[in-house]
Amino acid sequence: MRALRYLVVAYLLFSSAAFAQSNQPLSPRNANYTIDARLDVRSHTIAGSETIVWRNITSHAANELQFHLYWNAWKNDRSTFMRERALAGGGRAIPESDRSRIDISALKLTAPTAGDLTPHMHFVAPDDGNADDETVMAVPLPEAVPPGGSVTIELTWASHVPRTVARTGVIGNFYFIAQWFPKLGVLQDAGWNCHQFHAGTEFFSDYGVYDVSLTVPRNWIVGATGIERERRDNLDETRRHRFVQEDVHDFAWTTSPDFVERTARFEHPTLPPVDMRLLLQPEHASQAERHFAATRTTLKYYGEWYGPYPYGHITIVDPAFQSGAGGMEYPTLFTAGTRWLAAARVIVPEGVTVHEAGHQFWYGIVGNNEFEDAWMDEGINTFSTARAIAQVYDPNYLATRYFGGFVPWVFTDIVLSRETEGNRLAGYRHDARSDVQATPSYQYFPATGGSITYNKTALWLNTMERWLGWPALQRILSTHFDRWKFRHPTPHDFFEVTTEALGRDVGWFFDQVYRSSDIFDYGIQELKSAREQDHYRTTVVARRYGEATFPVDVKVTFTTGEPALEHWDGKARWKLFTYERAAQAVSAEVDPNHVLLLDVNLTNNSKSLAPNGGRAATKWSMKWMVWLQDHLLSWAFFV
Amino acid sequence: MSVLHALNALTGGVRRVNRAPAILGGMWLLTLAVSLPLALTMRDMLAQHLGASLTADRAAAGVNYDWMQEFADQASGVGVTFKPTIIGFGAVLDNLSGFLDNVPRPIVIIGAASAYIVLWMFAAGGILDRYARDRATRAHGFFPPSGVFFFRFLRLGVVQWLVYAALFGLVHPLLFDRFFGRITHDMTVERTAFALRVGFYIAFGIVLAACNLIFDYAKVRAIVEDRRSIVGAISAAVRFVRSNPAAIGLYAMNAALFVIVVAIYAIVAPGAGSAGASMWIGLAVSEIYIAARLWVKLVFWASEVALFQQRFAHAGYIAAPQPVWPESPAAEAIRA
Repeated sequence: MRALRYLVVAYLLFSSAAFAQSNQPLSPRNANYTIDARLDVRSHTIAGSETIVWRNITSHAANELQFHLYWNAWKNDRSTFMRERALAGGGRAIPESDRSRIDISALKLTAPTAGDLTPHMHFVAPDDGNADDETVMAVPLPEAVPPGGSVTIELTWASHVPRTVARTGVIGNFYFIAQWFPKLGVLQDAGWNCHQFHAGTEFFSDYGVYDVSLTVPRNWIVGATGIERERRDNLDETRRHRFVQEDVHDFAWTTSPDFVERTARFEHPTLPPVDMRLLLQPEHASQAERHFAATRTTLKYYGEWYGPYPYGHITIVDPAFQSGAGGMEYPTLFTAGTRWLAAARVIVPEGVTVHEAGHQFWYGIVGNNEFEDAWMDEGINTFSTARAIAQVYDPNYLATRYFGGFVPWVFTDIVLSRETEGNRLAGYRHDARSDVQATPSYQYFPATGGSITYNKTALWLNTMERWLGWPALQRILSTHFDRWKFRHPTPHDFFEVTTEALGRDVGWFFDQVYRSSDIFDYGIQELKSAREQDHYRTTVVARRYGEATFPVDVKVTFTTGEPALEHWDGKARWKLFTYERAAQAVSAEVDPNHVLLLDVNLTNNSKSLAPNGGRAATKWSMKWMVWLQDHLLSWAFFV
Repeated sequence: MSVLHALNALTGGVRRVNRAPAILGGMWLLTLAVSLPLALTMRDMLAQHLGASLTADRAAAGVNYDWMQEFADQASGVGVTFKPTIIGFGAVLDNLSGFLDNVPRPIVIIGAASAYIVLWMFAAGGILDRYARDRATRAHGFFPPSGVFFFRFLRLGVVQWLVYAALFGLVHPLLFDRFFGRITHDMTVERTAFALRVGFYIAFGIVLAACNLIFDYAKVRAIVEDRRSIVGAISAAVRFVRSNPAAIGLYAMNAALFVIVVAIYAIVAPGAGSAGASMWIGLAVSEIYIAARLWVKLVFWASEVALFQQRFAHAGYIAAPQPVWPESPAAEAIRA
């Protein structure tokens, strides 16, 4: 009995210590939300109220507040989001019933002074002046909030849940609710950073504590940012779920009566444990372990490479078919995405799961401005995803889906490489010149912005890894992670950390990959090796076809097997290498170790004096001919 | 009873096709002849892109997916069809799926396919006549009916084109884009959507097969009964199919043969292989598959001829008399 008493006391002490530890602020916690929302599944509406306690952490006084009202982006076709979506040539017409809106009925200041600010609310369009855009609302404050000062605001609002668009909304019984409440922008020394909702960009907000109560039908399962602290049944067949999470900058949730719930735990010798909760579609129940394994991969490798995941819990949501809610990150919760027929040795659902779990680190913990510098989370995370995938899921194969996209077929001849496929070289090659990466992300051309944000960054980071070595790059990324966790770094901060971690300035590299849209393309223009008396005279012309420069090696191989390795700074338009040797040259190759992964044309990187192009072309044209013959036979059906 | 009739016709059809290997060989050569020029064009494109690069070594030894993507990025014309899906059984799935999903193909491919269809139309008269006679006719017995029936089959081709164009141009989009899209618009279970799509494939396939069946028997009746009127042949075909359920059973059996051939190829289809001996072995296996597909196509026709003769006619009644060619003017001189 005494032993039991000790155990209870020890448990209480431990839990209170753990609680104290969890209450140690990890972030500035300057934007804290207490939200009470009720979902009406019949009318697809949410009625909500929220109290925001906001602290000014800048060095300037704030005269007004600015809020994101993201759901107004789909109110009509005149919003900036819809205009940009049309520019990108995407998206179907949205019927009226599928549209969304968010209407604030009351906005009151309750501290330090009380006052009704509702009449003063007005929409602003800081990015493009679009008078029809209602995604940013401003309200002047009766008294400026000084640096370090706080205000408490109370809002009442109602919104119509759209049919899923931009990964939020409803389809059937599946609700995924994100960017759903009036949310403050980020006040910086330069003023409010509160961008309109754009078709090609994501989000930016301050860290805080979220205490959110959600009322949904009683038997519906709810997954949300944070931990469920309380659950209470109401008389009207609904249930109130209260979720709380500290040190995050957003809150998303999902509900459906159809979820299959699974739990597992991540454990590691040096990293803190993480409880994983998986909300699966019933038809994917057999894929639970694949989701957990992929999430473990992220928690392990990102944790070892950059720093530990501090929250102790994570929720993985498997979105419903056609919901379009898959592949998106939110603090302590993310959506994965799989198919009913998911082949083995193909990284569906692992690819998206590792990536979105990875955003807990790059987006969740390091909170850069996704409107302006999306590459800082999406790009670094794409690079990290490919690296993590390569540790565990190697080899993985190409799969193509047939018959309306339902049936996968795995091409076991094609092993996908981390360097090209993982970093998405093909997409970058196609869009390489579309935008300068330093341009604010929301100003990228909507149809090609992804290639610059995701692909290009992953390629230049992997190039840095191959050029400087993984220890150096890991030092850069982990230093950046540690220094900027729970804060908002800018590109300048990243470059500064890079210089510091390397002990030298590699700004010339960032000038090209970040501040320019120039492409890298090195090649061998000419290879000759002719007999002259008792030796062979070999000449190699290496050429820079692209505008961007990078130091590259040039390797010339001779019949004796002995190579000549030259180092070229890659600055001139071309460089001649001459050899007088007893052996004839066989081949020449620029960048033989494929350090420069941004090179958009790899085929011209080499030349051989015993070329195999003809043999390869014969082989592949015969394969193609069989495809054509089979295709012709399909047509023969019509005879 | 119908099953027995169908089975007899099927075995009869298989026998007739096997006893005329020259037809199978000829159609295989025809398929090769249509595809080879384009394959050579593709070869030139690939060779030009690879040039003297070392990239070719990996492409020759196995798959160089990076190069394939690089090629695809700059490809035009027939080059855009050079994708990883051409490897092994993927090629069959790509075509089957493309056929059922009505995937548009580049104009060069459509051009080649149209030429192929016209050549089949020409050969159809000779092929069906040979199977109807069920005895060797040699080249001089093959080409005359081909020539005679070519223009009749061209007229039938116009009707076929109208019907198939309506099916793929109107019914398919209606079924798969509008109806399928509307029904599955709020569907959150992929399995259900897939089952529905399979149902749509079956429904569309039945309509397609029904039309194909009628057109097949229209050809059979045109040949066997020496019909000139295509409208008459089509209506006679409808009457025959309506009064002979075995025709449907036979079609199903032939379709099963097709499935068996495809399934076997799914197991033995060669992968990328290297540019050495495995390339030739792979080609040989693939060409055997192509020949098997042609064999199935011919068995369709031969068994339909057999069923028609079995149910409605007799061997002596079939086909127009063999053409008797006038003697060469030289014969007079020889006699003299």
